[in-house]
Amino acid sequence: MSEIKLLSSDQATITVEKSVAERSILIKNMLEDVGEVTEAIPIPNVNENVLKKVIEWCEHHKGDPPAQADDDSDSRKKSSDIDEWDQKFMQVDQEMLFEIILAANYLDIKPLLDVGCKTVANMIKGKSPEEIRKTFNIQNDFTPDEEEQIRRENEWAEESVPRSQPLDIDEAC
Amino acid sequence: MMQPKAPNREDLGQTWSYLEAGVEKIMKDLQTGVDMTTYMGVYTAVHNFCTSQKAVNSSPQALHNSGAVHRGAHLLGEDLYQNLIGYLKKHLTALKDEAYGHADEALLALYIRDWDRYTTAAKYINHLFRYLNRHWVKREMDEGKKNIYDVYTLHLVRWRLDLFDHVQKYVMDGVLKLVEKQRNGETIETAMVKSIVDSFVSLGLDESDSSKSTLDVYRQFFEKPFLEATTAYYQMESKQFVAENSVVEYMKKAETRLAEEEGRVQMYLHPDIYGPLMKTCQKVLIQEHAPLLREEFQVLLDNDRQSDLQRMYNLLSRIPDGLEPLRTKFEAHVRRAGTSAVDKIADEGGDNLDPKVYVDALLEVHTQYQNLVNVAFKGEAEFVRSLDNACREFVNRNKVCKSASTKSPELLAKYADSLLRKSAKSAEESDLENKLSAIMTVFKYVEDKDVFQKFYSKMLAKRLVNFTSASDDAETSMIGKLKEACGFEYTNKLQRMFQDMQISKDLNDNYKAWLEEKGESASNGVDFSCQVLGTSFWPLNPPTTPFNIPEVIVQTYTRFVEFYNGKHNGRKLTWLWHLCKGELKASYCKATKTPYTFQVSTYQMAMLLLFNDATKISYEEFEKSTGLSKEYMEPALAVFLKARVLTISPPGSKIGPGTQYSLNFDFKSKKIRVNLNMAVRAEQKQEVEETHKTIEEDRKLLMQSAIVRIMKARKVLKHVVLVQETIGQIKSRFTPKIPDIKKCIDILLEKEYLERLDGERLDTGYLA
Repeated sequence: MSEIKLLSSDQATITVEKSVAERSILIKNMLEDVGEVTEAIPIPNVNENVLKKVIEWCEHHKGDPPAQADDDSDSRKKSSDIDEWDQKFMQVDQEMLFEIILAANYLDIKPLLDVGCKTVANMIKGKSPEEIRKTFNIQNDFTPDEEEQIRRENEWAEESVPRSQPLDIDEAC
Repeated sequence: MMQPKAPNREDLGQTWSYLEAGVEKIMKDLQTGVDMTTYMGVYTAVHNFCTSQKAVNSSPQALHNSGAVHRGAHLLGEDLYQNLIGYLKKHLTALKDEAYGHADEALLALYIRDWDRYTTAAKYINHLFRYLNRHWVKREMDEGKKNIYDVYTLHLVRWRLDLFDHVQKYVMDGVLKLVEKQRNGETIETAMVKSIVDSFVSLGLDESDSSKSTLDVYRQFFEKPFLEATTAYYQMESKQFVAENSVVEYMKKAETRLAEEEGRVQMYLHPDIYGPLMKTCQKVLIQEHAPLLREEFQVLLDNDRQSDLQRMYNLLSRIPDGLEPLRTKFEAHVRRAGTSAVDKIADEGGDNLDPKVYVDALLEVHTQYQNLVNVAFKGEAEFVRSLDNACREFVNRNKVCKSASTKSPELLAKYADSLLRKSAKSAEESDLENKLSAIMTVFKYVEDKDVFQKFYSKMLAKRLVNFTSASDDAETSMIGKLKEACGFEYTNKLQRMFQDMQISKDLNDNYKAWLEEKGESASNGVDFSCQVLGTSFWPLNPPTTPFNIPEVIVQTYTRFVEFYNGKHNGRKLTWLWHLCKGELKASYCKATKTPYTFQVSTYQMAMLLLFNDATKISYEEFEKSTGLSKEYMEPALAVFLKARVLTISPPGSKIGPGTQYSLNFDFKSKKIRVNLNMAVRAEQKQEVEETHKTIEEDRKLLMQSAIVRIMKARKVLKHVVLVQETIGQIKSRFTPKIPDIKKCIDILLEKEYLERLDGERLDTGYLA
């Protein structure tokens, strides 16, 4: 089992099994395109802590069937179920959670990105706008008039259960 | 290598010039390899730009356009996409200009080199811009924007627009020249053509689904000109070749060319072209010369050129309706061959045509052309049918059949008889079986199957009655074959005849036992056995002459009648004396100590037995004592005289009233057993005529019964339909003539089996 080295943004070298690292499509494509490498692969957007966390997730999931290239099926999007290990894995502070999501997006690890976004979605589920603002420490930058207008536009959705669909990463950020 | 400084993620200008350097390196200098740092750098720059917050402002127009469509988050990336397009345009235009400076093989080499580099680079760049694909491109496509492609496809699209559309014509010219060279026998770099084909195929994008490709581009820009060039090339070549060579040579050439083109598809063309290319070649090489080929067909048939015929078949079978005219010619040819074969033997054989010669002549023609059909025409069903049609024609209508169409089945039956009858040159078992099968081959074509049946059963009866059948197995096998061909009814009587033979054997055993029981000696000076045959199954007629049963056998005769009547009360026994025979011991001869045995007919026996009481007997005494009519008596006397059993006085006179006959005590013979029981030719001829006469009668009955059967089922029927259905039912036995059917209907009307429903209309109804 061959191993490769990764170099985090804060210059830490982490050795990892090649097959584990290849959960990242970025790394997988790169190894295919560039060929075998001996030097550490620079991962300029991820620091050591986050990278270790991501690798932990990849280690655990290395036996999973490889994700379909463009699996946009509704089941993946809709289900807000997260398996138990992943739930525990995501019990980190908010800062770390967002870092993981960003890293997953950058490294192109779709299943991890999904888990992260679902986690955030579950945090939003059932909360009022005020509560959401509180949870994510967001300042309300709407004027009362604007707020009223948005409320009116979204009236149709008020009665029903708040939407539980996971948001896309950009929206979550 | 030093990592170039990463660009400011929010500055488009900086980011793009960083990216362009990377892309340029991959496009132009991939051989030296991409280092990991650059790779990660470029990917990261794309990612960072797309995820930057402020870059939004640098492209207010894009924001304005898309902002209206989806409120909320806006995806960055359009600028990178547009810049990439700009770069590709520039790059491809440079390639295009370079290509304009080349032609033919040099151009092909350049095109292929550029294509390979470009597509390889495109795969890399696609990976590097994956972030753009995943987000901005995906969003645009999800929203149904036209003309937005993932980065790899974008490369292909640009290639097509900025290079391909300009140079494809020259590239194709080069390809076609190359292929023409190969067709002219030169060796070419086929891999080149293959690469071009692959490139053209890759450019066929499915507008609705970019992950799929279509063959549209390839078909339009490669296949179409390729087929046109092929047509032109072979039109020219074949025209010239035909002018200078024989048709047979041309067929060989065409065959080779077709095989070559097939090989070409496998070697370096797209499999999709197989159908169209073959069609094109077949049209030019075969269809356009089909009339010429067909003209040659007769020549090849006349000279029995099997392999050339096969070649022609193979070629013409490849074009629609290519073979039909051949079949017509073939049928006519076989018919002529059959007819002339019969003409020849008919002239040689005259009236006494040997059945074997006749059947062999038919078979020879059939075998020859069946073989041809199997070998040259691959046993194709339509040709088999043409062969059958032709055989049916010449088997039923030829010189021998001129007088009567019934001649064929008659001769065939006679030939069968000659095979199945005991004779010195009896065939080997397996050989016999083959010959019987051959008979069936001809039999299949015989139209008047009822005639065959008549003659066959006549001759079978004779074989059975005279114990001259060569082998029971062969007889059974032949009947089995006939049954298979014509059904149970056809052979029913034949089988019953066999049964009667078996029953008679048992009957004779019973008779002997019966005699012993009564204490009478079985022989009583006369050995006796007989067969009792069912009148309705056997084609035998009662004797036509009166006959006085000789004194010596009267006792035997009456005893058997007594036995039989005791066993089966009410049955009528008709004694067929003319078919009976006996053996006489001649102990009077001076020349030898062992007495001769004469094998004689019952009539002859009655005549010879008279010499037990006298040595000289007059014509009139014979007549009076035997009661025979002179048609039977005179031929018998002739046989005796010829064999010198009797002598005539006055010597040399003609047989007739007033002559006297003495026993020849000096009779000599090489054999101990002397066969005097010889059929007389006149008798045979008469028999044939009689048979023909009965056929006519039987046919009338057959037609009438068919008519009644049909009417019983249908009750009311139009006249025309009735005639047609009757033909349909009878066809398997013989081909009825319509006037004959009408006559039969009239007979049935007269007998009031049927009635005409309306004087005007010809409807017929059945009266129960």
